[in-house]
Amino acid sequence: MSQLKLNTEGMKPIYVQIAEWLETEILSASIKSDEKIYSQYQLAEMFNINPATAAKGLNILADEKILYKKRGLGMFVSPKAKESIQEKRKNQILKNLVLELVTEAGRLGVDENELISMIKTSNKFVGGRDHERN
Amino acid sequence: MNVIESRGLTKTYGNLKAVNNLSFDIEENKVTGLIGRNGAGKTTLLKLIAGFLHKTSGEIEVFSDNPFNSIKVSSNMIFIDDKMSFPASLHLVDILEAAGNFYDNWDAGLANGLIDYFNLNPRQPHSSLSKGMKSAFNMIIGLSARCPLTIYDEPTTGMDVAVRKDFYRALLKDYLQNPRTIIISSHLLNEVEHVLEDILLLREGQKCMHMPVEELKELAICLKGKAGIIQELATGKEIYHKENIGKDSAYVVVKNDFTEDRLQNVKLSGVEITPVATDELCVFLTSRNKGGIDDVFDRN
Repeated sequence: MSQLKLNTEGMKPIYVQIAEWLETEILSASIKSDEKIYSQYQLAEMFNINPATAAKGLNILADEKILYKKRGLGMFVSPKAKESIQEKRKNQILKNLVLELVTEAGRLGVDENELISMIKTSNKFVGGRDHERN
Repeated sequence: MNVIESRGLTKTYGNLKAVNNLSFDIEENKVTGLIGRNGAGKTTLLKLIAGFLHKTSGEIEVFSDNPFNSIKVSSNMIFIDDKMSFPASLHLVDILEAAGNFYDNWDAGLANGLIDYFNLNPRQPHSSLSKGMKSAFNMIIGLSARCPLTIYDEPTTGMDVAVRKDFYRALLKDYLQNPRTIIISSHLLNEVEHVLEDILLLREGQKCMHMPVEELKELAICLKGKAGIIQELATGKEIYHKENIGKDSAYVVVKNDFTEDRLQNVKLSGVEITPVATDELCVFLTSRNKGGIDDVFDRN
């Protein structure tokens, strides 16, 4: 199996990237509720990393109850995993992105109305693309 | 369980303390990177663990035994470096066969597969191999021996980039199937860090750090911006490195004990925050004096 690529230069630790990759797999329904998720050894092999690092990524999701453990069987996807990932991403990632966006707009002297109209334009563009795809 | 326990371990050569009062434990089935500058004592430490050298003072136990003159350690350990010598008359295939007789867990299938993959001719004498091919061959012995304690001292010397990558991939895959205690020394941390669990960083024979790689990665951050702001941010922090750029800009590498909110604020105030590559951080941590190479040229 070919190796999946990780960003080793960035600010994000490898185990966080593993956790996020797993979240994306759950969001895209590649792994469904109550299905078994990859083991730390499978992840280590896939991403070419030490299994302890992979385990750390899995444990983040277990701590957040996105995964649950079955003794002796490994980790499984919680029934509410998808909703809690969406909720989490909205509250953390999206909020920070918006904060950065607003700050950069401030630096460039873009006022609120202009910024909102830019967001609307982008939204239309993305919405249009989604529409074409459907 | 600890495979290696060291307490106040010291090895001197004349006046030089190559290993100086070193205490650490290495747990079973962990992959540890032994990192340090030239002359930091890496090879001496590995040879003390292997039982090749006699300690000057302190305690070292490997598999609960003093490794020097221990049959238990010798039969459960393999030490791979670029100075391994084999009889010049033996062909590679003969060496592999002899190794198979020595090591209980020897995997002949793996050895042959790797010999084939790396295009080594089994009918070739060892002495005719190039430097990189010798390293590759030694690595094959190290992997195939499947020793409970496997020690690699600068294993990738002379290997080209492709072979290095393949070597670390092979090491990881084999480790996943057959977990064992592995120590790898290197001064090229960036090529090996992904397979490591722990790092043991040496500075002038002493322990500088011993922690999981992932923790080391998050230990420090680099702040770049106006000198005044940077100065203020760095006050009271542990500073690993400091440099002025241009007229009134500066960057510092400091211990990252900022809260998430604080970092967000710092970022919004126009300070650039970047991660510090682990190999770079290790250079800062092990620097002998506070300055750098530039200071030599700035004397006048």
